[in-house]
Amino acid sequence: MAKSYYEFFSPVKIVAGHKALEHIPFELSMLGATNPMIITDKGVKGVGLVDHVEGVFASTDSQVKTIFDDVPPDSSLATVRNAAKVYRDNNCDAIIAVGGGSVIDTSKAVNILVSEGGDDLHAYAGAHILKRPLKPFFVIPTTSGTGSEATLAAVISDDDGRKQSYASYFLLPNAAVLDPRMTLTLPPHITAMTAMDAMTHAVESYTCLASNPVSESYAAAAVRKISDNILTVMDDPANADGRLALAEGSTMAGIAFSNAMVGMVHSLGHALGGVCHLPHGLCMNLFLPYILEYNQEHNGDRIGELLLSLAGAEVYAATPKAERADKAITFIRDLRDALYEKCQLPRTLQETGKVSEDQLEQIARVAIDDGSIIFNPKEASHEEILAILQKAWD
Amino acid sequence: MRIQRIYVSIMMMIVGRALSAISRVDEEAIEEIKGLPEDYIIQMVVVPGGPGFKVRTVGDGTLEVANNTQRKVDLSIKFKHLSHAFSVLSFQEGTAEAFTKDRMIADGELSHSIRLVRILNKMEAIILPKFIAKRAVKRYPDNLGCMEKITKAVRIYARVIRHLIIGS
Repeated sequence: MAKSYYEFFSPVKIVAGHKALEHIPFELSMLGATNPMIITDKGVKGVGLVDHVEGVFASTDSQVKTIFDDVPPDSSLATVRNAAKVYRDNNCDAIIAVGGGSVIDTSKAVNILVSEGGDDLHAYAGAHILKRPLKPFFVIPTTSGTGSEATLAAVISDDDGRKQSYASYFLLPNAAVLDPRMTLTLPPHITAMTAMDAMTHAVESYTCLASNPVSESYAAAAVRKISDNILTVMDDPANADGRLALAEGSTMAGIAFSNAMVGMVHSLGHALGGVCHLPHGLCMNLFLPYILEYNQEHNGDRIGELLLSLAGAEVYAATPKAERADKAITFIRDLRDALYEKCQLPRTLQETGKVSEDQLEQIARVAIDDGSIIFNPKEASHEEILAILQKAWD
Repeated sequence: MRIQRIYVSIMMMIVGRALSAISRVDEEAIEEIKGLPEDYIIQMVVVPGGPGFKVRTVGDGTLEVANNTQRKVDLSIKFKHLSHAFSVLSFQEGTAEAFTKDRMIADGELSHSIRLVRILNKMEAIILPKFIAKRAVKRYPDNLGCMEKITKAVRIYARVIRHLIIGS
């Protein structure tokens, strides 16, 4: 049935491909900026990825004025204030985020302070408080998973550790720069985990309630990019074309889910991550097939459609319509098994070695209040969530 | 549009009072409300400046109507247009469905808005005829029997009418 109403918004310029970084000085100059600040973390800087970015400013009229590399794994208000001070002290006129989710979220929040003035980030907490464009802001992802370069939200911890969310169209970057050099050195375990994060964004945005015709085209293309390339990259990590395809898949999945949201894989994943402190991508890999099975009676046709992107035209055409959903889920299970073989990415809660069975009740309690649950096609009770967790246990 | 405005204004009065009533009648709703902070102000409103209502948690799982409070609202469910509120409050579109279609936005802690949607769903399941409620909620409660539904609906309607007439 045609969607009776939907919205889609994606103003982020995608600058993607080999030597994409070299386009940054020109793209910044188009926005009137010549003195950017780089925000990153010590890990990214330590492996030399920031050098690639700095290097492209040689022989141009622009220069990287300063590098702030003190972003912790969980963004905090203090970090945002410190980075904003460094930006102001160095008279910068743009921000380039080089990193993963935490760096990107921190950079979005820093952009609020340096554009609006002051140090009171709280004043902008919540949905759509900002009313005007911020400073030029580019994102260079160094993982292919979060899709944060295409989303309008940032989550920052308060001084007392409480997570506060900020959502505004003005938080979206001006450009996302996808250059395979930035992910070439990603270790296999992280590559697999983040790719399954992106895969889940794409699959859930396609199969959940807020899916729309535009977002689903991004989602289907993202699934294709990821399923075609993930195992190639695992076998040949230096494969630049494969790395680029995963980065593209991740960004397309980010565009899809920022417009169509996600469902119960994320509800359970957020809860498990919060209770047991497991990485988000790992949580996505754990729950994806179980939730698809749970939802299948409501949206089996949508899951079945994804078989084309997952397994290709020949398999899709050879599979009767009624069996496509099952086959799509089996494909995802097989992919998880392959990733387990290659890098021991856990497939069950037990395999993580960090979850105890008596925590399942608490995880279920947190999951049922997660914001993404409202977009899941099937409304789950506490008991049903607990049953899914039991299934995912071993 | 004038008729829609009148209808939505009346329904906002009824829904606010029905939420307060269900918090004294239904155990599941009481448990859900207990999960919200005490003295927590929830608003449902049509923007800008349209009809709406406010309720406040008063501890032990009960809600009271708080339309006149001047306190900052903790969770605001904002309909983007009067006609969206009309669709939801005339049960042509479910609350969850309206969220997924961007008809309204939740300004505040997201987990609390999910809890509120569950309370609204339970309220609709009880007070509406089953064939209408099934359209309005994502999943009609399996455990809501006919006798329980009628008994609780009568108690909720009685409380709403009493509040509308005598104001408490």
